[in-house]
Amino acid sequence: MSAPVETEGLVRRFGELVAVDGVDLVVEEGEVFGFLGPNGAGKSTTVRMLTTLLTPSAGRARVAGYDVVAEAPSVRRSIGVALQDAAIDPLMTGNELLRLQAVLHGLSTAEARARGAELLERVGLTAAADRRVGTYSGGMRRRLDLALSLVHEPTVLFLDEPTTGLDPMSRMNLWEEVRRLNREHGTTVFLTTQYLEEADQLAGRIAIIDQGRIVRDGEPAKLKEQVGAPTLTLQIDPDHRERARAELCARFGSERPALRPGEVAIGLEGGAAQVTEVIRLLDDLGATVEHIELLQPSLDDVFAEATGRRLEGADTDGAQPG
Amino acid sequence: MTSTTTATATSHPATNALAQTLALARRSVLGTARQPVIWFPAVVFPLLIAAINSAALGRSTALPGFPPVESFGQFLLVGTLTQGVLFGGIIGGSDLALDIESGFFERLVASPVARWAILVGRLAGSAVLGAFQAVVFIGVFAAFGAPIEGGPAAVAVIILTAAVLAVAVGGFAAGLGLRTGSQEAVQNMFPLLFVLVFVSSAFFPTALMKGWYRRAAEANPISWMIDGLRELVITGFDRSAALTALAVASGLAALTLTLATTQFRRRLRAAA
Repeated sequence: MSAPVETEGLVRRFGELVAVDGVDLVVEEGEVFGFLGPNGAGKSTTVRMLTTLLTPSAGRARVAGYDVVAEAPSVRRSIGVALQDAAIDPLMTGNELLRLQAVLHGLSTAEARARGAELLERVGLTAAADRRVGTYSGGMRRRLDLALSLVHEPTVLFLDEPTTGLDPMSRMNLWEEVRRLNREHGTTVFLTTQYLEEADQLAGRIAIIDQGRIVRDGEPAKLKEQVGAPTLTLQIDPDHRERARAELCARFGSERPALRPGEVAIGLEGGAAQVTEVIRLLDDLGATVEHIELLQPSLDDVFAEATGRRLEGADTDGAQPG
Repeated sequence: MTSTTTATATSHPATNALAQTLALARRSVLGTARQPVIWFPAVVFPLLIAAINSAALGRSTALPGFPPVESFGQFLLVGTLTQGVLFGGIIGGSDLALDIESGFFERLVASPVARWAILVGRLAGSAVLGAFQAVVFIGVFAAFGAPIEGGPAAVAVIILTAAVLAVAVGGFAAGLGLRTGSQEAVQNMFPLLFVLVFVSSAFFPTALMKGWYRRAAEANPISWMIDGLRELVITGFDRSAALTALAVASGLAALTLTLATTQFRRRLRAAA
């Protein structure tokens, strides 16, 4: 059988705007695949095409072995979908929504009841099953959403920004649930996220998308290795900042996009051993260092290296975890 | 690996579609029932207006040309019901727009549900509310000395017509909701329904109207439906009056359902 998700030159235009610009992807069976990128990069548009909610403008995609356009009904039967901003009817109870979802997927009433109870148990919502969803917390809604997407035991599960807006505790609970699902049931998971940590924690393989194009893909550890040098980030007094920047870049490595405004960041080619030399240089220049930090390569560095921009702190919603 | 998913679709597609429609209808009925703030006005306000009309215009039954009624309430029942159903009917369309706004519609579309079950399930909710309104209004009016002369058969026709009319209004509202995807746009059609019911025989006999108003009211299909049902209330069961009322409601429903279906297809094409 073909891979659970395969795309070839997938394109989606909205008028003049090219939201997804020739995406080639292969997600292997049993994989947790992380699709990482900033807001508006084309993650959700890609997922919407893969889940038959949007027709591609060009290219092709197969999900669970079916073409997303020509065999859309078969795709819908095979996938579980938990979209961003989980739209869950607040007037219904968790139980009622699970049963509705089960019927929509063609399960019998008896099957629906058994399956619903099992899933509620699994996501820890048994006690809240008969309460209206309107009374649920954000984390509970996401867990219910996850349960809903699993009603028919899908072969591929699409999670579009599953933890956006969740508190750290709920986020970790959901991560654990996704890991367990993948480990115990072998479900292939296609996950989109704008959180580096989420991609790092969950995904065995990631693709970074920016402005509709995939700029990097591979295992997180390997991608970080490719970046190589750790990032030295310095807060230097404004009078000496430019001079120090020039000298540091000339002697120790190439400049990287700063993590915070006013900071100088360089890839320290010689690693931690060079920190004393850096300090000595700054001392010779008479510069005052307000803050210094040496960071091991992260997915943010991978992103920065590929796009020239930082993903971390790029959001204004402040929901970014540490 | 695909065996798990194909194994779940155990029953025949048509049986599935029926079960899906029923499940969605149940959701739409529950959704409305659980929001008294929405259905309560559609039940209570028309009754209030009827009480005021009855106090203000009660003596008009003595006017020459007024139908021979036992009480003004007997005359008002059908008009009040029509008003209630017209206002209640938009709830279905408004809720569909809300589903689109919230993203629940997408959740449905991403599942293997029969496409038309989404629409039919929604409108079934409207039909149930319409029938419920009819039962309540008939009961209240009977308690206030406005019995239905046509007996159980007339009662059944009135309830059925109310349900079909609710589908007609719901279909129009759903079409608008599908077109705009905005709950607000659907609710803005309220004044249009207001005109539709006031320029009709709902609250006064057309025979006693004058000029353009009378011509407009006589040309309004809602008047034909009301006059048919009113005959069942005032005079007794009459097959042709019953059929006229049902035919008007069904005709309107056919029209608006065509509109809703067209908009539904259009939205699915744009999205899927």
